[in-house]
Amino acid sequence: MKLSSRDRLGDILSYAFMAVMFVFFSWPLIWLLSMALRTRKEVFLGVYRLIPKFPTLENFTMVLTSSQFPVYLINALKLSCLSAVGCLIIAAPAAYAFSRFDFKGKGAWMLGILAFQMISPLVIMVPLYRYMSRLGLIDSHFGTVMVYIALGVPMVTWLLKGYMDGIPKSLDEAALIDGCNRLSVFIRIILPLSTPGVASAFIITVIAGWSQFLVPFLLITKDSLVPIGVGIFQYAGTQNASTIQVLAAACLISVVPAIIAFLALQRLILSAMTAGAVKG
Amino acid sequence: MSARAVSSRLPFIGAAGRHNRVPSPYPWLMPVILVMGLFYLYPVIDVFRYAFTDLTLLGGEGHYTLSTFANVLTRPELVQIVWVTFIFTAGSVVGQQLIGLAMALVVVRAEKRHLFGTTILRTTALIAWVVPGIAGGIIWKMLFNEAPFGGLNSLLRVLGMAPVQWLSDPDVVMWSVVLSNIWRGTAFSMVVMYAALKAIDPSLYEAAEVDGANGRQKLFFVTLPQLRPAILVNMILITIQTLNTFDAIISLTGGGPGRATEVLSLYTFNVVFRNYDLAAGSVLSILMLVISLGLALVYASFLPKDEKA
Repeated sequence: MKLSSRDRLGDILSYAFMAVMFVFFSWPLIWLLSMALRTRKEVFLGVYRLIPKFPTLENFTMVLTSSQFPVYLINALKLSCLSAVGCLIIAAPAAYAFSRFDFKGKGAWMLGILAFQMISPLVIMVPLYRYMSRLGLIDSHFGTVMVYIALGVPMVTWLLKGYMDGIPKSLDEAALIDGCNRLSVFIRIILPLSTPGVASAFIITVIAGWSQFLVPFLLITKDSLVPIGVGIFQYAGTQNASTIQVLAAACLISVVPAIIAFLALQRLILSAMTAGAVKG
Repeated sequence: MSARAVSSRLPFIGAAGRHNRVPSPYPWLMPVILVMGLFYLYPVIDVFRYAFTDLTLLGGEGHYTLSTFANVLTRPELVQIVWVTFIFTAGSVVGQQLIGLAMALVVVRAEKRHLFGTTILRTTALIAWVVPGIAGGIIWKMLFNEAPFGGLNSLLRVLGMAPVQWLSDPDVVMWSVVLSNIWRGTAFSMVVMYAALKAIDPSLYEAAEVDGANGRQKLFFVTLPQLRPAILVNMILITIQTLNTFDAIISLTGGGPGRATEVLSLYTFNVVFRNYDLAAGSVLSILMLVISLGLALVYASFLPKDEKA
């Protein structure tokens, strides 16, 4: 009996801890939603109107029918999708080579690629900004996408390599004996079998691209080309206390696509991301 | 089919085709090598070159000089910047690691006991993690709003407590920024710790139980030693992540008030893109590289030798 009462005490403590943590992590999001649904009057009532008495969608309509926000959203979608596709095209062959071939210095190559991820994007942006302005690639989505791709390639290479490791090598060998060459083994057999890995790599890169701020902030100055990360930052700079509810709606709109994309593939993404850290 | 016949059908492998099992990897690696070389390696080399010049973003070719190094590293504000960076990084890393570990332990226990709510808690924390840095800063700025209707101050008022000057008091603001960073980053540590906990061999616990260990002893003599490599790797990752944090601070405080929250990355950004001082910014970039590399090596030296990744 002693054991079960101790277990019960443990359960109570676990629940208490989980409740505190839940409040900590959810409060900012609840607050954001609450603000976004309020009228201007109710904003000033603070926590007393956590659930607004006169909830309104007007803030969302205002943001979505403004001249800039839909453009920011489309730009962000375009930049992050193009960069995710680019990342996959560049990283997939390397991932296949790392997964299937034995060659000298393979470990060093792989660590080298990973080591680049330690470098702050700010460090490479210092010279890249200079190159880009010389090449006339400021205010070009092409230049921005190329930098996004470079930032995403290390992670995607490791992710896809890890996924391909799980596909039996005997499939490659059988296809080679049947007369396929390496390229067609890769394209016709390994890539289709890697679809879940490719999908999670794609989503992770899209989320990362959606969240990008520094690169577009520096490389894009024209308002019509700016993605949402930069757009919302500039928008926040022009707001004051009387429009906080509109800013909340805009912020929510900018965050929700990333959250949905993540939740859709949560399990895949998590197992892919933690594999490296735990093996280490 | 003979090996020769197979290899003749493998034009892609080229010369290496004769040894069917060891084709050259380089054609496959080429795209990655090109992209990383152009966008990482070459810029990093150029950063080192710029550091020995007096280049600005305003144009001109600049001259080679050693004085930029000396000038930047003796700037009086640099001590303050490095101290702020240290507090921000140490506070965030310790907070994320401890809370992440505690959450993972509790979630594992709760799952074992079939308690309700573990999935909701995990998903909520992960949603915070997916929120882009800029948006995270904007959200926390609303919470830290010092007006009576602010997200935290109005809560404090309901609880009968005095309001806090979250962002305008220079002694408080750093802890506000650390708090917002812990909110956004902890989920990663939690997930890593959770996976590492699940990977511990259950027979270790059985052996400890046979030896009469209680819960606390199991935690300190089985769980934590087993988690050591995962904790160190996680600390390396979140330290570098935190050192490079920039967007969450620029949209929350912009580095202020004064310089109270101007971390090294924000300072570097301001030097290059507000003062157009490319050479000085390059010296600061090198400082950032050296700090992350140094810290990674320090952590790595604590890793057990045979398990080094």
